[in-house]
This record gives sequence, structure tokens and C-alpha cells, in this order.
Amino acid sequence: MSLVRTGALSLLALGGGAAIMQWTTSSSLLGMLTQAVIYAIFALGVGVLLKQNGLVSFGHALYFGAAGYGMGIILALDWMPAELAILLILLAIGVLAFLIGLVIVRVPGIAFGMLTLAIGQMVYLLATRARGLTGGADGLSIHWPATLFGFPQAMLLKPATLFMIAWSVMVLVTFVLLWLLRTRFGAITEAIRDNEERARFIGITTTLPRAAVYALSAMVTGVACLLSALNTGFVSPENLHWSVSAITLLMVVIGGFKTALGPIVGAIIYVLFKDFLGAYATHSMAIFGAALIVVIVFSPDGIVGGVQRLLKGERPTKRTLQ
Amino acid sequence: MNSYVLQAQDLAVHYGGVKALDGVGITLEKGQIHGLIGPNGAGKSTVIDAITGRRKLTRGTVLLDGEDVSHMGAVERRMRGLSRSFQRTSIFGGMAVRRQVELASYKMGVADSAGDAGAVLKELDLDRLGQTIAEDLGYGEQRRLDLALALVGRPKLLMLDEPMAGLSVQESQDLARHLKALTARWEVSVLLVEHDMDVVFGISDVVTVFELGRVIASGEPASVRANPRVREAYLGSAA
Repeated sequence: MSLVRTGALSLLALGGGAAIMQWTTSSSLLGMLTQAVIYAIFALGVGVLLKQNGLVSFGHALYFGAAGYGMGIILALDWMPAELAILLILLAIGVLAFLIGLVIVRVPGIAFGMLTLAIGQMVYLLATRARGLTGGADGLSIHWPATLFGFPQAMLLKPATLFMIAWSVMVLVTFVLLWLLRTRFGAITEAIRDNEERARFIGITTTLPRAAVYALSAMVTGVACLLSALNTGFVSPENLHWSVSAITLLMVVIGGFKTALGPIVGAIIYVLFKDFLGAYATHSMAIFGAALIVVIVFSPDGIVGGVQRLLKGERPTKRTLQ
Repeated sequence: MNSYVLQAQDLAVHYGGVKALDGVGITLEKGQIHGLIGPNGAGKSTVIDAITGRRKLTRGTVLLDGEDVSHMGAVERRMRGLSRSFQRTSIFGGMAVRRQVELASYKMGVADSAGDAGAVLKELDLDRLGQTIAEDLGYGEQRRLDLALALVGRPKLLMLDEPMAGLSVQESQDLARHLKALTARWEVSVLLVEHDMDVVFGISDVVTVFELGRVIASGEPASVRANPRVREAYLGSAA
């Protein structure tokens, strides 16, 4: 897809978001859609790691919680303006993830997943125990300033505004990711994912680009976390728990990780369907477990991949199954 | 002036008590095609792996254009013009043909990487398949793509590990002829490991014969073919 076409589709998507905001009168529905969009951004982060590095993370909740805790602590201690804190936190997450990535992306397959799980759970326990700093199991309230980027808090926290902010950020993140993956950097990471040894023998140093993808993925997750912090004004150890990573991974697999749209579709379906289940929501994981089996068996490249193939009249190929 | 592109001296690769290579020396002059033959397990592929840095040397040195590259990693060796293909086709399965060849060219520092990739693809008759995802190619096309990835940026030394494996007799002969013409035109020296004797003796300037990790004969194809020890050890008495 050309960059111009991607840009045009992004503008169209922004218009679509504005239409949803305009036509949705129910505040609770808008709140739920906002949550779905925030998870969609989180899923984009997990998805880009899977697509470009071929790596499955069970510990991305680390970045989904860390950005919120960072924001809460900085605002509580009044260290700097919130706007500057947002930028610094994202930068810090990128640097931290890059350093962690330099070590862990060398480890292949399931061992990588276990390492991410271990690191994530380590931070989860740390957040639970460090009551003085994080509020322990009770969590931490985030006291946003009266104005953010010049806009009054009361206006920003309206359900319609929050939805539109989250939606616009999702469109922007998707556009940036699509653009980035079209660049030489995208080609290099694809090559390493497909055949690391061959990549070395065409002159590619393989660790740095993989660590950079991991950092990029963590930063996207951090963006989702900051939006969640704005949406709820709260962060707790639950944000850091491995089950959050697992659910997001589920969204990515159900939606399909080979396209940018897949994780978004997976996240929106998950959140809306969970709400639709109503009283049966406590059984949602069982239902989604069954859905996951169906998707993996009949459309391993997810719902979006399956729909694309249906539209083209194609059957699954060996590439679909990988 | 040193006319050798490659001087590999006293190469040894030991795995515990197993001597996969033991004191092998190989030289290659500019523009030469040097064929390596020997029975399975003789150490031919290990020589390529040792020279390209895929296998760690127990001892020995590798000089590329007079520069000692023995302690360099695979990436540094490739950047200095030491390129290779693999016994099993080694391409980027999920990428389009042109995208991966252009990337390889770019990584070699070629200013016009698109032009270079286009030229290599045209030479190997892959230009019409530029937008095809590599794993959708036929086997012969994948072998040529593997070769294309190794050829971009005009390496000083191209090491080919059984490039004809799995090809039909006609395909092998065509590729061999093409390879000979192309490497001469682009002044690329070639170290060729191949089981197809007709190909090796047909296009090589020098042939070296391996047995159990050691060189048992080396020289012009005709003299090697006539060498009684080679006939006994590898080609068989009927050869």
C-alpha cells in the first residue's frame, strides 16, 4: 500500500471516528469504545513485535503499567509539567525496552516468551510490594493537571473527547507503524525475522534492529497506557499482570498479526463482545478460548486475514499457516 | 602486487576429537573459479563455513585481498567482499524478490541499490518475478534468488555451496555456463563446492580434492582428473 493511500485511509479513519463520536449518544458506550481503542493500541504494540520480530511477548503488560506509574509518580511529586512528563516517559520506556531488548531478543522462541513473562512478573511484584511509591495493591491515583496541552481537564475527560483522542492516537500510531515498516528499517527487520543467518551474510547486524522493534513495540504500549491513565485516572498492579499481556496476545491472534488492522479488529471485538456477554462475562475467557481454537484452525492469519482471503477468493497457503 | 583474492592457510576445525578440517590451505587468484570436490563428510562445506566465519577456526588464518579476516564476524567479512550461498536454499521467504535483493545491495553500500538489484535479477532471469513473495517461487527460482543475494554489490569472492543441488541436468548446465560468463564479466572469484563432476570440471580453473578433512590433490582439472589417488579415493576406478 502506497504512503499516499495509507495517508488517505488514515484521514478517512479519522472521519469515521468523528462520525462514531457524533452518532453515539450513550456515554457508557463511548466509554467502552474508548477502552476498546486503548486496547487496540496496546494490541498494535504486541502485534508489531510478532509481525516484525516473530516474537511472542507474555510480558508487555510491564509497559502497559510502567507508563501509568511513571506518570502518577511524576505528577504526585510535581517534578515537571505533565506534557513534558508524557514525552519523557515514552522516551524512557523506549530506552529501557531497547536495553532489555538487547539482551532478550537474542533468545529464540518460547524462551523469549518466558523471559518477558519473568521480567513482567518481577515488576508486577515490585509494584505490589513498594507501597510507599506505588500504593501497593491499592494502586495509584493519577492527578492530572487542570489543563493539558492547553485544554481544560473537564473538556478532555468528557467521554466523547476521550474517545476522539484515543481514536486519533490509534490512527496516528497505525500510520506511523505502516510508514516505518515500509522503510529500509522495515525491510531489515523482515529479513532478520525470515532468516537471521542469511541476514548476517548480506551484511545485516541482527541484534540492534530486533531490539529497536522491541523498543518500538514497548513505546506503542506505553502510549496505550498513558491514554488508559487519562481515561481512568488510575493505575494498579493489575495493569502489570501477565494475564493482561495474554489477553492482548489473544486479541492479536484473533484479529491477525500480519496486517495493521488485525490487532485493532481483535481488540475491538474482544472488548465489545465481552460487554455483549453481559451476565455471562465471567465465562468470557472460555468463550474466547473456543474462538481462538476456531480462528487458529480455520484462519491462522486471523479474522482480517480470513476476510482478505475470502474477498480475493483464495484458499489458505503455506504462508498463511506460518 | 598480491594477485590472490583468498589465501586460506592451515585451516583447522576440530569438534572435540573429530577433525572436520585439518591443516587445509587454499588460494584463489582474481577471476578464478576454484572447485572443491570430495566424498560426503570430506570437509568441503566446512571450508566455506570456516572462511566465511560461520564455523570457528581451531587454527589457521584467512586472508582476503591480503587482509587478515580470521577474527572478523560474518557481517564484517561480507562487507569486505566475501559472499556466499548455502547448501540449503537460504532466502527471505516472506519478502518480495526485488525488496530483498535491493536490501542486500543497499547493505553492501551500493549507491544505486535499486539499479544494482535490477541488474542482478535480470542476469539471473528473475526480473519478471520482482514482486513475487520468495516462498511462492519454484525451487530453481529460489536457488537463483539465493545466488542473487550473494552476487549483489559485486563481491570479491563468491563461495557457492552446491548451487546445482536439486536442479535438473539441463538447469545445472545452463546455470554453470551462466555463472562462468557472469563471474568473468563482473570479475568475481568463485570457490565452488559441487557434487556434479561435469559442472566442476567444466567451469573450474583449479580443482581441489578433499578426503577426511585434508587436501589430497589440487591443480588444473585435467591433472586432478588423472591423479591416481583422486581416482582411487573419490572418482572410482571407472572414472
